[in-house]
Amino acid sequence: MSVNLRSVYVAGIGLHPFGRFPEKSVHDLARTSVLEAMKDAGIVYRDLQAAYFGHVYYYGMSVGETVLNGLGLTGLPVFNINNACSSSSSAFELAYWAVASGAWDVVLAFGAERVPRGPISVTAEDSPSRFMGTDHMMASYALRARRYMEQFGCPPEAFAHVAEKAHRNAVLNPYAQYKKVFTIEEILNSRMIADPLTLYQCCPTSEGASACILVSRDAARKFNMPSKRLIKVSGVGIVTSDLDDRKGDHLIAWRAAKKAYDMAGLGPQDVDVVQVHDAATNAGIFQLEGLGLVERGKGWQLELSGGTEINGSVPTNTDGGLQAMGHPLGATGTRMLHELVLQLRGEAGPRQVKDAKVGIAENSGAGEVCTVIILNK
Amino acid sequence: MKNDIEQKKPQRIPIDEKSMHINEAGTDGVLMGSICKKCGEHYFGKQTYCFKCASQDFKDIELPKQGILRTYTVIFTPPAGWQGNVPYILGSVELTETPEILSEVIDCPKENIKIGMRMQLVFKVGGTDKEGNEIVVYKWKPV
Repeated sequence: MSVNLRSVYVAGIGLHPFGRFPEKSVHDLARTSVLEAMKDAGIVYRDLQAAYFGHVYYYGMSVGETVLNGLGLTGLPVFNINNACSSSSSAFELAYWAVASGAWDVVLAFGAERVPRGPISVTAEDSPSRFMGTDHMMASYALRARRYMEQFGCPPEAFAHVAEKAHRNAVLNPYAQYKKVFTIEEILNSRMIADPLTLYQCCPTSEGASACILVSRDAARKFNMPSKRLIKVSGVGIVTSDLDDRKGDHLIAWRAAKKAYDMAGLGPQDVDVVQVHDAATNAGIFQLEGLGLVERGKGWQLELSGGTEINGSVPTNTDGGLQAMGHPLGATGTRMLHELVLQLRGEAGPRQVKDAKVGIAENSGAGEVCTVIILNK
Repeated sequence: MKNDIEQKKPQRIPIDEKSMHINEAGTDGVLMGSICKKCGEHYFGKQTYCFKCASQDFKDIELPKQGILRTYTVIFTPPAGWQGNVPYILGSVELTETPEILSEVIDCPKENIKIGMRMQLVFKVGGTDKEGNEIVVYKWKPV
């Protein structure tokens, strides 16, 4: 990189609870998260200089603009990002570069979604893969799960443990969609969706919103933001499919992670708290391998031995993850960062990971897209 | 008038002309692949631009009709648009140097499916489109 990049900090975070809110529009959800983030950062709407909005479903044109028009008319540029389930982490990365490059000092990255009920399909309705029965989000995870089980001797209980842990963490999180504990047996015995994945191993469809405010050091000074509440964005990586990904399911996450680690000057050994895209339980395990946090093929042993618990060596999805927090597609990326910021500030209450200094978030999207973001204290 | 009726007569058509050829009755066929003439990279279906070397010069090939099952799932909650049986098995089969090819596995009780099984390509009517045409798809069955 030949230019000098400025340091970028997350100064404010906001969240609308995840769940079902039939009385609310996607605009209502998004505005709640933005208002909360601005309050958290100690700024008001006219202080924002640009906004990046992640969403997937259609709510009319220029949704980011119509959301923010309800909060003010200041002329700020708004960018709408549709990058499947990685939409708001993609928005966050663009906001990062906008501040790092010096273009703006106070930028909003946010995401909101109201996902319809039922299985999620990726392609258009008349696509051949619909007709072939191959366009099935959970089937694509299940195919990877079966291959992993065969290759590494992983039992189905290891996958179920991801959901069991997620729900125990979600009970401690007032914003989560499912604040209810399930046993491994209940999870394995729930309705089969795509073998080996049962219903309680597939993330729910959800509604919700999340927001982050990114600032430069100059802006932090101008607004007298207390330094202990500023969390540095130390590395970002975003990649799409590569020919080499045919050689292993975990490689896309590793390519994104490598960019973020190199940028941050950090490695997997430095990470204290983790967010991974556990849309299906098996992804909650092999994305840890993708991030280099555990050796390939051994993630399931780490999971079963309690290594991913809040007090484990690789605390993962401390807020409940996609499994129990819920998955409003466009809102998930910035939701992950919301939790990391709470953890790094030491504000995560009963979910707090002791002495967390470095956090990493991995957000996957159809396409494929993979984003990895590293934050540190 | 007679002509109009004849034109509207439903036909048997392949799900994707770029990746398969079928006989007139729609009961048999082949899967097609492409090999880049410049770098030798293999693709499933008709490729127009090489991922590896950017060449646009390809040789069409017929793919082998047998391969090895590399992974599978049994789907109990089908996606919208699925006209087949439920539950059904999806299998990913490695033929030669092309990427694995994913489709339904038929004539196999779900208890018997196992990674590493040898699979044979078959062509079946998978359902009908809005015009009443019968859509021919490729599937796998154990050898």
